[in-house]
Amino acid sequence: MGKRRQKRKSQSVAKTTAYQSRYQVKFARRRLGKTDYQARQRLITQDKNKYNSPKYRFVVRFTNRDVVCQVVYATLSGDVTICAAYSHELPKYGMKAGLTNYAATYATGLLCARRLLTKYGLADAYEGKTEDLGEDYHVEQGDEEARPFKCFLDTGLVRTSTGARVFAALKGAVDGGLDIPHNEKRFAGYDLQDKSHDPDTLERYIKGGVVAEYAEEMQEEEPEKFEQHFAKYLAEDFDPTELEDAMEEVFEAIREDPTHEKKERVKPADAGRKFKLPKMTYEEKKANLKAKLEALRAAA
Amino acid sequence: MALRWTRDRRCGRRATRERWKRFCSRSGGTELDGARTRRLTWTFFPNSQMGNQRARSRGLRHGTRNLFSRGHREHGTLNTTTYLRTFRVGDYVDIKVNSAQQKGMPYLQYQGRTGQVWNVTPRAVGVEINKQIGGRIARKRIHVRIEHVQHSRCREDFIARREANDKAHHEAHLAGKKITTKREVTGQPRTGFTLENVKSELLTPIPYDILREGMKY
Repeated sequence: MGKRRQKRKSQSVAKTTAYQSRYQVKFARRRLGKTDYQARQRLITQDKNKYNSPKYRFVVRFTNRDVVCQVVYATLSGDVTICAAYSHELPKYGMKAGLTNYAATYATGLLCARRLLTKYGLADAYEGKTEDLGEDYHVEQGDEEARPFKCFLDTGLVRTSTGARVFAALKGAVDGGLDIPHNEKRFAGYDLQDKSHDPDTLERYIKGGVVAEYAEEMQEEEPEKFEQHFAKYLAEDFDPTELEDAMEEVFEAIREDPTHEKKERVKPADAGRKFKLPKMTYEEKKANLKAKLEALRAAA
Repeated sequence: MALRWTRDRRCGRRATRERWKRFCSRSGGTELDGARTRRLTWTFFPNSQMGNQRARSRGLRHGTRNLFSRGHREHGTLNTTTYLRTFRVGDYVDIKVNSAQQKGMPYLQYQGRTGQVWNVTPRAVGVEINKQIGGRIARKRIHVRIEHVQHSRCREDFIARREANDKAHHEAHLAGKKITTKREVTGQPRTGFTLENVKSELLTPIPYDILREGMKY
């Protein structure tokens, strides 16, 4: 049997009926801890004298094994995503492992940007930056008639500290040609004390140089740990010590063909399965009861 | 309006009016000549007889304890749809103060009023409201933040009816028929109910005829 676990009572508050009837729940997404409504309000609110012009935001979210970059705008009936890129698409472009590191998030941001610009025909007008990736770059309107695509970074609930991956995605998008207002203050390689930005460090991070260095070190000193730590890399035949060159190729591949291949929607095997059991009719219930009584009588 | 707890019974608007009438009848009829009126008026309205004017506050949000309070379990962050609505010049809007946003609040007198948008700024709209001041109605133009403004449904019924009528007229025109879409007074209450044994009379004012009325004085 086992001891019945005692239900832990709330230490701070007695949940009387008065409490229950007066308690005001927070918004659903706030209860889930997924949305910061203060930030959302400020990101969404468009100047009223711009009427229905959408206010696009570049959304970056991280899961345990994936990076999501989307360009979204809000409407009364819900948010609309106009472009999305996931780091689990990177194997297609040559990056087989390490899909949540700094380099991968940069690549995902780059992919999202190029995809969006290709979709709206701005890809040739706004190429972004292919070299000197560590340098501070802001998209400028060239001789083209179309202005650059402007959106605003939506970090979500991430702590925006210096060197955070969120800003890698931002850098990827900006180098891809999106106009996102930003400051170099939060990029990897920024010295908070000197208040100076080191473009070489940033470029190293973007290309995964830090990972490569770590891998090399580990390979030389602790080869068993190396096998274990970079197991996924080795399984995919993706050398972590050569990450920088590999990433350069990945960025090139992304620029070459950023379009998303739509997968055909296939109906699952048990499509149309009804999860809600139909209620028994009155006759069925009566028959059921009869059968039960017979069984009891027979047993007795 | 907020209840007024401490009010001397002599100081109410009606009470004052009654007193003025009695005062006038005492001092020789309703017609007072100019100078005498002015002198006597000031004896009638010395400060102390108007009650303690100081007892009432006149701050910006005076008397709004309940009016501006948020509803039960409606406190906290505003929903995002408040910020996603667009307003165009000419739209009818209702003013409903949302005290979760303290900026750009209209004066308490405009609570519940409906007006047309005459201006649109980044975070607010300009609303033109009819305000009764004494005997006239003035057009007041105020600016109000969008949190305190909602699209009015006052025109909804009219616009739907107009659309339906236009459509009916167009179809009739194509068919070569004539129809009237005027609303009629049926004498019946709203749909779902009927009155029986009803005799209804339509009353209209008769035109003024001076010969019939004659000179009154």
